[in-house]
Amino acid sequence: MSWMFPVLSRRNFFKASCGIAGLTLLKPSTSVASPAALPQDQAEKSYSICNFCSSLCNIEVTTRTIAGVKRVVKLDGNPHSTLNRGKICARGQSGLRQTYDTDRFKQPLIRVEGSQRGEMKFRAVSWQEAWEYIATRQKHAQIKPWEWTMIGGWTSCVFYMNWSVPFALANEIPNIVASPMQHCVATGHFGTDSLTGNFNIHDEVLPDYDHAKYILLIGNNASMGAVSTCRVVRFATALKNGAKVVAVDPRLSETAAKAHEWLAIRPGTDLEFSLALLKEMLDHGYYDSEFLRTYTNLPFLVYQDAQGQWQLARDAEKRPLAAEEGTNHIRTLPAYTNKNTRDVEGQPFYPALVAEDLVWEGRPVVTVFQAQQAEIKDCTPEWAEKITTIPAATIRRIAYEFGTTRPAIIDPGWHGARYGNIMMTRRVQAMIQTLNGGIDQEGGWVMSGEFHHKLEGFQHAKAHGEQLPAPMETLPGIEFVNMLVNALSKGENFSHGHPGWGWAYAAQQKAAGQPWVAVPAIADEGMKESIEGKLLWRGEKYQTRALFINAANPVRHYYSDAHWKEMMRHPNMELIICLEVLPSDTTPYVDVILPSSTYLERSEPNIYGNGVNSDLAVTTRYAAIEPLYDSAEAPDVLLELTRIISGAPERLFQAMERLTRLPAAAVQDALEKQRQAGHKAPFSRACREISFQVTAQRLGTTVENLDKILREKGVYPEAHWRDLLKTAGVPRKLPTTTPSGRLEFFSSIFEGLRMQGATGPHFNVLAGYFPAQCRADKSMDEPLAADEFYFTYGKTTTVSYGSTNSNNPVIAAINTLKKDLYTGVWIHPQRAAQLQIRHGDAIILTNTLSGQTAAGRAYLTRQIRPDTLFIHSSFGIENPQLTRSFGMGGTATNKLIPHIVEPVVAGFRSQEFTLRIAKA
Amino acid sequence: MQHYAMVINLNACVGCNACMAACAMENQTPVWSNKWRTYVHDIELTVGDSARRRFFPRLCNHCDNPPCMSVCPTGATRKLDNGIVFVDDATCMGCEACALACPYDARYTFEYRDVAAGKKFFGELIHRESPSMDKCSFCAHRVAAGQNPACVQTCVTSARIFGDLNDPNDYVARLVTSGVAKPLLPHLGTRPNVFYIGEINLG
Amino acid sequence: MYYTTQHYWTWWLALYLFLGGMGAASVAISCLTDMYLKPHPQLVLWGNLSGFMMLNIGSSMLFLHLLHHLAVINVLVPTVLLNKPDAWIAWGTQFIVWMMLLSLLYALPYMRASAFFQKLPIVNKILECKLIAWLDAQITKVQRIIGWLATLSSIGTVIYTGLLLQSFPAVALWNNPGVPILFSISAFSTALAFLLLALYLAIKDDQDHQLIALFERADLILVGLEIVVIFVFFQYTTTSSESARHSAHLLWNDNGWLIGFLTLGLIVPFLLELKGVIHGWKGHAPIIIAALLVLNGGYLLRYYFMNAGVYGMPYPPHAYSVYRAPEQGINQMTIIIPEENPQVINGTSDDLVN
Repeated sequence: MSWMFPVLSRRNFFKASCGIAGLTLLKPSTSVASPAALPQDQAEKSYSICNFCSSLCNIEVTTRTIAGVKRVVKLDGNPHSTLNRGKICARGQSGLRQTYDTDRFKQPLIRVEGSQRGEMKFRAVSWQEAWEYIATRQKHAQIKPWEWTMIGGWTSCVFYMNWSVPFALANEIPNIVASPMQHCVATGHFGTDSLTGNFNIHDEVLPDYDHAKYILLIGNNASMGAVSTCRVVRFATALKNGAKVVAVDPRLSETAAKAHEWLAIRPGTDLEFSLALLKEMLDHGYYDSEFLRTYTNLPFLVYQDAQGQWQLARDAEKRPLAAEEGTNHIRTLPAYTNKNTRDVEGQPFYPALVAEDLVWEGRPVVTVFQAQQAEIKDCTPEWAEKITTIPAATIRRIAYEFGTTRPAIIDPGWHGARYGNIMMTRRVQAMIQTLNGGIDQEGGWVMSGEFHHKLEGFQHAKAHGEQLPAPMETLPGIEFVNMLVNALSKGENFSHGHPGWGWAYAAQQKAAGQPWVAVPAIADEGMKESIEGKLLWRGEKYQTRALFINAANPVRHYYSDAHWKEMMRHPNMELIICLEVLPSDTTPYVDVILPSSTYLERSEPNIYGNGVNSDLAVTTRYAAIEPLYDSAEAPDVLLELTRIISGAPERLFQAMERLTRLPAAAVQDALEKQRQAGHKAPFSRACREISFQVTAQRLGTTVENLDKILREKGVYPEAHWRDLLKTAGVPRKLPTTTPSGRLEFFSSIFEGLRMQGATGPHFNVLAGYFPAQCRADKSMDEPLAADEFYFTYGKTTTVSYGSTNSNNPVIAAINTLKKDLYTGVWIHPQRAAQLQIRHGDAIILTNTLSGQTAAGRAYLTRQIRPDTLFIHSSFGIENPQLTRSFGMGGTATNKLIPHIVEPVVAGFRSQEFTLRIAKA
Repeated sequence: MQHYAMVINLNACVGCNACMAACAMENQTPVWSNKWRTYVHDIELTVGDSARRRFFPRLCNHCDNPPCMSVCPTGATRKLDNGIVFVDDATCMGCEACALACPYDARYTFEYRDVAAGKKFFGELIHRESPSMDKCSFCAHRVAAGQNPACVQTCVTSARIFGDLNDPNDYVARLVTSGVAKPLLPHLGTRPNVFYIGEINLG
Repeated sequence: MYYTTQHYWTWWLALYLFLGGMGAASVAISCLTDMYLKPHPQLVLWGNLSGFMMLNIGSSMLFLHLLHHLAVINVLVPTVLLNKPDAWIAWGTQFIVWMMLLSLLYALPYMRASAFFQKLPIVNKILECKLIAWLDAQITKVQRIIGWLATLSSIGTVIYTGLLLQSFPAVALWNNPGVPILFSISAFSTALAFLLLALYLAIKDDQDHQLIALFERADLILVGLEIVVIFVFFQYTTTSSESARHSAHLLWNDNGWLIGFLTLGLIVPFLLELKGVIHGWKGHAPIIIAALLVLNGGYLLRYYFMNAGVYGMPYPPHAYSVYRAPEQGINQMTIIIPEENPQVINGTSDDLVN
């Protein structure tokens, strides 16, 4: 070895000189001691919850105090957490640099007189001046409660719903627009939810990858690749145990890179693939028939009415009917239960999945199972192959593998807002998962501890005819949605008689014979019309003139950006306030910016459940450091806004008492004490205090003990998931929150919407086919023009959705390192060559449907289908005050996507067009 | 005495970059200059029209026969008893010979402007005072306190595994002695202590 | 596998290597000539003092190149040879320091006796002071010893650079015994060329015919040897490992190497000197031109060696997004992958461990 040289240290010298038997190369001398560990005694640890995605990982925060200044130095996963098992992702690790981001808002800002919305021209003011400004504007413009709209982002939804919804009701503001409803929670998830009874599948189902033998991910990179840490740590076990992983995705995503098989499906054809899979499984018996008979409504009897619609056969009391296996005797089943094993008379019953030659009240009836088969009888693998480009033999094989390997997981999937038929695709996915019996089952989908906990309470109250208190905290699944929808959609709930403008607009559209949205919950459909004065309610204009934006960035992550800029700049818009941490692309369009603290500076005003963890536990945040700046907490801001809008802050306490567990009197007392002590954010502190009391009581312990455990471990464990399954598993132990209590293949929810007059394939009570409409008048398998592409987009592992954490210096550095990969437009080299586009070339993209254009840079890769373009949606930031995000390049996807929605929940159809590209 | 080593399982890495962020925060590496102690490469492999995607984390291999140590004239680079190849940034004068000697591109420069930027970025918490060559230290300070290196600790799929080759019961030791985990460029004679489990996906 | 050059030691270090080799060898040649061929104060003054200045500039360049300047003390102390005898920079630093001192010391008596220095302000005052006068006397007593110490430390300085480059195992172009030999030959060749220029243009002593003829002949032989060694390198790099082949590709496709170094730096001066040795030239111009070309060649040799050293790794170097096709020349290149996309490895199903 040329670089090795015998080292003549004193020790070696003697050794060498005393008999050199072969001049073997002596090891270099090593020093004895390791470098000293960093001064651990100055380090402190506290616990918190990460703020950068829905995994809600529990984190351990290390702080260090030097020269009297305490700083956060490191974040790690909380090793005591069974949710993320001591791990966090790149965003989690970098999170402390958001707190120390030099671009943060440090004090309240008011728009400079004479400047326009769109210009980032603000002047620093005191809180007093900011509130006075808001109060004056509110009064001067006489903004009515229904003319306010709250716009919430994910943070405000997850953590501050218990204030936002009471705020809305206390101030009689019926309007909330919140992401990610139209993006995923309402769209795709709603499809799954309609079968399982969940409200928000990816916050309520944590698939048990640990024990799964087969994992099928369709159009889903978010679970693994984007990263949902609580899922990935379990997926890692699956990989280690040799589970087979199949990823169906037009591009070679991070997930597909880990899969044994990457099926490069044509974008927009997931439904065809899924239906073919479903058909194969139903036709060939790849299902757990005992499970299906017992716990689903597949045995229910249905008939086709004169219009060809499937209707449930019901007795006089509206109870469902089923046929007995073998005898074909028709019996009545309980309307609400988890099991079909007893009829309404309590007799044992073994329902048939398939019944031939049945007649009921003169009509031919079949089972839902048979109806479903009939509904998709044309959805063969050969048919699917044509559109998806996945070979029929592969589809058959996957169906066989999935259907006969147990336990198996078809991962529920996330971003539903790509096509109008994704909701249906997710329904079909849920059906496929159900066919395997993999609902609330080891190795299958497992409901969260919180869901089980709420469900137990709900079912108990239902069985005893009791009213549940604190509906926001106690209603599980779809029941929660129902409550929220009922609250906001009915004008009679408000003294002013206005429902949310979304509902008013839907009614207006419906009356005019125009396309209308059946469940415009928390959506932006109709907002523009309201702002422009084109919406009428009971003959009068229903205007929207004021916005309160909390932790949301709609200019960047709603569609399109021009649409939102127009709305916010409209002369009818009197006042826009936002509560924000960093300058986003939305902040240039507001009038007042209120600085928010970051999560590490905050002791939460509430004790929360442990996210999607299958184990039941509670957790909260302890502030690691004092707030760096003159920032505010959301509850206190909402309280002050209540005072300004309604003049009666006590209404907020009352609304909270009605909806959450916090008793108004106790909260008010605590608030008074906090105020007298001169504490900042007194309302937030008061709520935390009472929350601790209420939670400790529920847990059967003391506040001191609860605090102690949370300080020492970060989580207070309540129950293990296996134990929860034994008592609250759905549907094996308890009915789920669907209207029938069973897992619903025939969807009562869509039946309900149908009864309200919603028609069309989106509202099919069964799984049915309708294509994505990416081509104006062609089917997807017809050739594209030479410069025409299908379009898909997705997340990076480093940036949360369209958020401002692209500005985090650590994140920005990683993104810069991989800049081409992350900010480029992915194009297959074959297509690029035909267009003479080389790697790195500047290109212009044009939406063939809307004419919208955007700029980009070509990234040539074979990791994308030749007929498709892919863009990471984390970039294209326009606000130069976000100094590290700005100038990163990339293409803002919402510059290319028009505002087109599907009719169920106004879910965005953000990929239903083609793009043309050209060299710039 | 321990002989620390790392195994990286390429079948598990999802390319999430958590390790890069963790290392940067733990070791105060110069993110403002985009220089890192560890990288996760995102590599595309093609044959004809087919494509595969490989995530490849890499770092200093803490060789048993480290060329960077032999060429270091000041003795700043030295091998600890526990196997970690460590750089004493006060002693290092920054001649960069180690960067040329390293076959694994593990080294980077920490310059005067990085020291200044670091003082702004980390304030009084900055670990270092002087510029030098730098590289991964297997988080020697954490290891001394009985913890895993930061990258290993946070790796969401446990693709990085840390252990002691001198302990026959250690998982890393077993992976290495079984031959499942293999080092990089072994023919150069560096005797590295980072071992890779190659992708066993034939799909 | 990805193949890349490095960006740490490029033209700046190449300049030092050139100056260091040439300066040190000049000192060795001057001292040996003065000791064994004929006493030659002018040559010693030119050789040693130029050598001293060249190493001065060179070491300053090295010093400035450091990341942490003050820590240079850690190699300046001679105990570094006990701590790190395996590090060639440690040896080199010591060689340089002692060589610079000793070359000055050897030249000191000649400086004091030289009319030029006696007339040089400030310097003449220093040279006349008691301490220097005493030093002069001591040196004269042990002149041979000083001369040999200067020569040996100079030779150490010449050879160590090649050994330093050889000690980097990942680069086939460097990690072979040819490099120390090539660099040593080149150092002495450039030193002879420099001294020839000094003799022709500065010293201009008619008595130096034979010495000049000897130097020319020696230089001819060394340039010839260098051509042979380059040929050997050609054979080696084009038949050896991937790293070597990539280096070969870089070098033998580069006009700077082919024309600047090979042709102008080796072959043309060889031919000029060959005619000079065999037939002789009428004037001095051809030899002076040859000497200048040799000097140019000396720098270019080191420049290209630093820039054409290729590392092979299983991942791209971190600055992956910067690349050029090889045809565009070595000094624009950091990565050598002629791909449409620098991240993509084409054509092979990659194996993890080679």
